[in-house]
Amino acid sequence: MPKTSGPPAWLKDGFGIVLLLGFILLFFNMANTADDGIFTLPSEWLVVNTIFLGILLEAIPFLLLGVFVSALIQVFVSEDALNRYLPKNAYAALFPAAVLGAIFPICECAIIPVVRRLIKKGMPLHVGVVFLVGAPILNPVVAGSTYFAFRDDLTVFYLRFGLAFGLAILIGGIMYLIFKNRDQLKWRSEELLGKESIDIKQGPPQKQHRLKQTFYHASDEFFLMGKYLIAGALIAAMFQTFLDREFLASLGANDWASTAVMMAFAYVLSLCSEADAFVAASFGNLFNEGSLAAFLLYGPMLDLKNTIMLFAFFKARFVLYFMVIVTIAVFSAIMGVQLFLL
Amino acid sequence: MNEERDYSFHAYLRGIFLLGFALLNLGLIMTGNIQLYIASHMMPLIYFATVVLFLLGVIQIIRSTSKNGNIEAACQCGSDHGIEGPKWIQTGIYSIFLLPLVLGFALPDHTFDSSVAEMRGIQYGSGQLAQEDTGPDGAEAAETDESNDRAEAYMDDPDGYLTELDEDAAPEGEDHYTVEEYYDQEQFDNHFETVADEYGSDNFVEVDDTNFLDIMTALDHHLHDFTGTKMEVMGFVYREPEFEDDQMVVARFSMTCCIADATVYGVLVEGEGAEAYEQDDWVRVRGTVEEGEYMDETLPQIQAESFEDEEEPDNPYVYPSFQ
Repeated sequence: MPKTSGPPAWLKDGFGIVLLLGFILLFFNMANTADDGIFTLPSEWLVVNTIFLGILLEAIPFLLLGVFVSALIQVFVSEDALNRYLPKNAYAALFPAAVLGAIFPICECAIIPVVRRLIKKGMPLHVGVVFLVGAPILNPVVAGSTYFAFRDDLTVFYLRFGLAFGLAILIGGIMYLIFKNRDQLKWRSEELLGKESIDIKQGPPQKQHRLKQTFYHASDEFFLMGKYLIAGALIAAMFQTFLDREFLASLGANDWASTAVMMAFAYVLSLCSEADAFVAASFGNLFNEGSLAAFLLYGPMLDLKNTIMLFAFFKARFVLYFMVIVTIAVFSAIMGVQLFLL
Repeated sequence: MNEERDYSFHAYLRGIFLLGFALLNLGLIMTGNIQLYIASHMMPLIYFATVVLFLLGVIQIIRSTSKNGNIEAACQCGSDHGIEGPKWIQTGIYSIFLLPLVLGFALPDHTFDSSVAEMRGIQYGSGQLAQEDTGPDGAEAAETDESNDRAEAYMDDPDGYLTELDEDAAPEGEDHYTVEEYYDQEQFDNHFETVADEYGSDNFVEVDDTNFLDIMTALDHHLHDFTGTKMEVMGFVYREPEFEDDQMVVARFSMTCCIADATVYGVLVEGEGAEAYEQDDWVRVRGTVEEGEYMDETLPQIQAESFEDEEEPDNPYVYPSFQ
């Protein structure tokens, strides 16, 4: 075996063992640290920590679901199969994509690995955009919680789901006009080699390896996505702690300002789309229905934690266009609705 | 060969981190403090995550020991597996994963208090949040009122039910489902009766953890039905700067999914003795519901007759009752 650069093997193994022992020690010490902690921070930073861990602990199961779906797609769905089911006409694919997004109960933490994987497998970009925008809102669990939160007056409920469906198709269409089918994913050089090697026909992977591969993919992708999720959750936790919500309300003096404020608010809070309806409802006395709908539309489509993930996996120019288009689309849709319907 | 060695070290390290996350979950579950982060009805997801993290961690460590370095060769995805960049970037990336583990293990578990309430604003009564009028008591659950049926229909088949609902509601317009339908007078009286029966006295409502949001909602929407009612409510003390000395809010944080969506609900309390309580003290208040006024708005208010010191409960949060 050739000499490896860097630390010798025993050091690496030892480092891992020490790390694991450290975790185990901390684990057995948890009953003691629950009240006092090994070290502590000022109270407001404990709040940041609590929200940070809350978002993370809550998001991890969803992220795991997302990376497993992605891993299953990677291992079991062939490109040929995918292409066979996609409509040939780009615009014809938009509507079924939105419907499909509504069927999959995948929220915004889980959707990015899935969409990225599907695009890598050859799904057109704009179809991916429809999923990205539509799937986190158009899903049965989100519908349930929004319905419960706004049962008094279902205006917000109808606005959220009606507009989410329409906007998903619209935004997908606009993205197609701009980018057509040009590749907007970031590929690393070794990935491009991998891409090439797929074109050279390889035999199907051996059966007994498929399960193992699924698990390998899932955990590697968990680490790939996880770091962005952690960074996003930390920033969102700080906004959650230090942002005075009544000050925010005072900014929203008229229709357009309050819509803009609620969109900005949704962006920085980075709430799970399953829970955001209750937070929106708690603003019912401060904001009108249009602004609440804007909050509920914009947050799941675009927020701090998924922006960081998007920049990591898509080309910057694409992400910027995506953000601008989603922002303008949601804002004008809400303004239009307020002008003509409410 | 160098890369292979590196590669298996990454797998090994990741396995350990995955085990670390699993241990953090498990530790929070075992100390019971997970309830300070995650709403109780989301717990199945946390159990799921804990098991999967353990499983993935063990698989990663086994993978790192596999001798036949062709783990990647069997896979056609190119490389999604490595960790990019020079050594210092790699170290940085692993530190990101270390951060929540260290914070989670080492820092004390914190419960939200009035300083958070101040930043978030209090929902007097309950804002728009209209909860189902279902108490924990069996008598009411046995009732076959329409709204319970709806809740069940939704629970059995959320998708189908909502589609049906859309179809039902569409032709009749959006105003079809009004507050009154859920809180019609009759149903409300029933609720009163069951609550009153339970506590053996007339016209008395005890607000506890399970019905807190329900009662706050009922108070908000049907204040007139409550005026003159005796009520007992427990929560932490919160005061706005412009409150009088004998005024305070008795409040609770509610959690829907995780602590990030926590919202504060409370009821205004006025009465002699209130001045003895500081911000964040836990208190049990008994008094009569009446119409109060704050910031030119009519709000439910309890005219307090007695105050009682309380310990902060193990689980200070309340949850919506629909799940």
